[in-house]
Amino acid sequence: MILAASAGNILVWIVWLAAGFACLASGIAVVSFSNPFYSALALIGNLGSLAVLYLLVSAEFVAAAQVLVYAGAVMVMFLFVIAYVGPRLEAPWAGGPPWQAVAAVLAAGSLLTEIIVAIGLKAGGSLSHDRSVPGSFGTPAWVGRLFLTDHLLAFEITSIVLLVAAVGGVILGGHVKRGGGEAPAQ
Amino acid sequence: MSGPGTAWYLALAAFLFGTGALGVLIRRNPLIVLLSLEIMLNGANLALIAFSRHVANGAGQIFALGVMAVAASEVCVGLGLVVALHRRRLALDVDTLSELRG
Amino acid sequence: MTGGSWLCLLSPLAGVFAITLGGTRISRRAAAWISTGSVGLAFAGALWAFLSLRSQSGHHGELTTAWTWLQSGNFSAGLTLLVDPLSSLMMLIVSGVGALIVLYSVGYMDGDDEERRYFAYMSLFVFSMLLLVEGGNLLLLLVGWGLVGLSSYLLIGFWHERPSAVRAAKKAFVMNAIGDATLALAFFALIAHTHSLSFASAFGVHLSSTAQTLVALGLLGGAVAKSAQLPLQTWLPDAMEGPTPVSALIHAATMVTAGVYLIARTHPIFEQARTVELIAAGTGALTLLVAGLIALVQTDIKRVIAYSTMSQIGYMFMGVGVGAYANGMFHLLTHAFFKALLFMAAGVVIHALAGEQDIRKMRGIGALMPLTKWCFLAGALALVGVPPFSGFFSKDSIVAATLALGWYGKVFWACGVLGALLTGLYTFRLWFLVFPGEPSPFVREHHHDHHGQEGPWTMLVPVGVLAVLATVGGWLQFAPVWHPLTTWLEPAARTLAVAEPTNRQEYFTSVVTVLAGLLGIGIAWAVYAGGRLRRPSLPFLQRTLEHKFWFDELYDVLFYRPAAATAVLLRREIEDAIVLPTGPDLARTTMDAGALARRLQTGLLRTYVLFLASGAAIVAFVFLLAK
Repeated sequence: MILAASAGNILVWIVWLAAGFACLASGIAVVSFSNPFYSALALIGNLGSLAVLYLLVSAEFVAAAQVLVYAGAVMVMFLFVIAYVGPRLEAPWAGGPPWQAVAAVLAAGSLLTEIIVAIGLKAGGSLSHDRSVPGSFGTPAWVGRLFLTDHLLAFEITSIVLLVAAVGGVILGGHVKRGGGEAPAQ
Repeated sequence: MSGPGTAWYLALAAFLFGTGALGVLIRRNPLIVLLSLEIMLNGANLALIAFSRHVANGAGQIFALGVMAVAASEVCVGLGLVVALHRRRLALDVDTLSELRG
Repeated sequence: MTGGSWLCLLSPLAGVFAITLGGTRISRRAAAWISTGSVGLAFAGALWAFLSLRSQSGHHGELTTAWTWLQSGNFSAGLTLLVDPLSSLMMLIVSGVGALIVLYSVGYMDGDDEERRYFAYMSLFVFSMLLLVEGGNLLLLLVGWGLVGLSSYLLIGFWHERPSAVRAAKKAFVMNAIGDATLALAFFALIAHTHSLSFASAFGVHLSSTAQTLVALGLLGGAVAKSAQLPLQTWLPDAMEGPTPVSALIHAATMVTAGVYLIARTHPIFEQARTVELIAAGTGALTLLVAGLIALVQTDIKRVIAYSTMSQIGYMFMGVGVGAYANGMFHLLTHAFFKALLFMAAGVVIHALAGEQDIRKMRGIGALMPLTKWCFLAGALALVGVPPFSGFFSKDSIVAATLALGWYGKVFWACGVLGALLTGLYTFRLWFLVFPGEPSPFVREHHHDHHGQEGPWTMLVPVGVLAVLATVGGWLQFAPVWHPLTTWLEPAARTLAVAEPTNRQEYFTSVVTVLAGLLGIGIAWAVYAGGRLRRPSLPFLQRTLEHKFWFDELYDVLFYRPAAATAVLLRREIEDAIVLPTGPDLARTTMDAGALARRLQTGLLRTYVLFLASGAAIVAFVFLLAK
């Protein structure tokens, strides 16, 4: 991997490293905190750093969507439910048979390793050359045009998925029936 | 592209994915499981966006937006489940919710 | 001709269906009359076929195929009926004598609880026998062959609450099956060589001599089993457990003569394997002597007549074995008359004495039943071959036909003459012990008549008809002078030149055999009626004859004991030890495996996700390797 160091480049590198570090740290924080509230906040940080990274690759619309939709809507939903459910403290590695922790680490680690190997060994050569992109790459207009021409089907189907999810959410969260439904405490 | 090459982005995405997977596997609170799931999805998104830039094809970004929509839907349903569990006074612990035992 | 043959074949079958489907809705009498009517109709059909065959020039007969039954590769067999001189003769005998015997059964079986089943079986038997003789190819003959074996089994074991009857039925069936097996093997060889079982191909094609001999041996095996010749004869005496009309029809007139018919029908095959044909003649000669000897000591009236049947079929085998097919068939015809007569007359006696069959108790019954006595006498004289009764004409021509053959021909001739002596002896021993003289106390006590008559008319009429036929039936053919039967059978079964005796030989033989027969009668009179001669007491000979030359004991040791021991061994070692536990073991193993697999279903989400992740990792690994 050849580092092409130049003045403009240095800035990009610094921003990238900062955002990457924040991303990783917040990711680890999400799975490590025992208080779900803190985990959710860490996730918001993760989403933000990811948005920065998207900007670095000229995916402006996606970055904006990430902040608006993900961080703005999804995470707010999360925080609402966490607040509703109340405080539940839970240590990360607790519970389950002892071999489970070992197996989990192994599984996750092997997945990670394999991806790294794939990138490094297999695709090494072809990943160094990026193609050139037009100026409008990643702009909302450009993305919008794509949605309505090449990827219209995906657009429509996504809307149906959202509809189904909304219906599901309403049903699941609906009021329990009178006289039944409230199961006794286990 | 100035700055780090596509490989760095992919490596970061891989780490995110692995971290999210670890979280799903070892946490007991369903809310935290859902959050870890979000981490994994974000890792996948990052990889998609990076590739989209690499091959200068917009499909990756479209796909990533689709993933975001699906993730939102999934979170909606999942949180609905959690709320339903809470309403029925069941424990929010995936180890305890094991009635589908053989 | 076609119509006649189909009517003849199908009307007993229709009778079977009518009785079976009628079930208890029809009365027992109705079932009996349905059966009688169906067999009578069969006789009408046979007559029709016979007459139309007679009007055909050349009398070559006709093959009609209803449809192709079996088609496999280049082998095909059709549902073919043949009406030719030989088959029409058999059709007449089977349906005619059969009708008389079924009529007789109406009276004999009256009052039995399971009369309907009996008459259904009787019609089934007549149908099977007709199929056998009308079959236009060897496959249909085999079907008829098997079906008559089945009917015989069903009818011998008709009174199935009697263990002895059941045992006898099984014995008959198993011994018949041995014959069926050899027959099937012969047919397999034919199919392998000629790809067909039609008569034309079986008789026309020349096979290698080994193949021909094997086929002929297989056919002979079947014939020997069905006709109860040595060494497969032990089932016939036991078959007397069945009702008397069954013995008359199946084990005297028709089924046991199927072997003779088979040899006559397939004579071209035998002629190409002359040795086997002579073996057949030799078997017949030996059997007729052995059976005659055993008959001398029997005390059951039906068993005497059964051994007599065995002996007379030995004559028939001798006849067709040397090549005198027409003579053998003629004796088949006359034998059907007088043997059925003898059985039915004996049946009248048994019926009158409420089931008693021991001749030592029956002395003097002739005084109370004169009609039966004279009919039985007619049958006995026909059996011995005294002129002018029918047996004389047929038996002597067989014995004469053996003369031209060579040194073994002379041996056969001597056997035939000796057999005539024995026939006279045992037959009249029977007659003198049973009929003449003062009625014994047993007879006086147990005899009951049927409303003043000796028996119901349905029993007496057939006996009378057969008595007439046994007396005059022989005049059909007197070999040296007029022989319409031989001429009739010529297109189907031409007598071999070597088996045609000269007129002098014919007359000479006739005289000798008649004298031998009369000598036998005389000895019997002296010993059993007048008491002038005492019966010689030879304990060893007596015991051997009573044990039927130890055949049953031999077969028991040779076949039954090893088979039973093997069965017990297999049961202990294999079935109880290995096979029976397999089911429960298999079940338990499956359940254990299931329990093991169940442990995967922990119910914990995390375990499932772990499996997912591990699986994904492994798949990715494999992909990486493959790339």
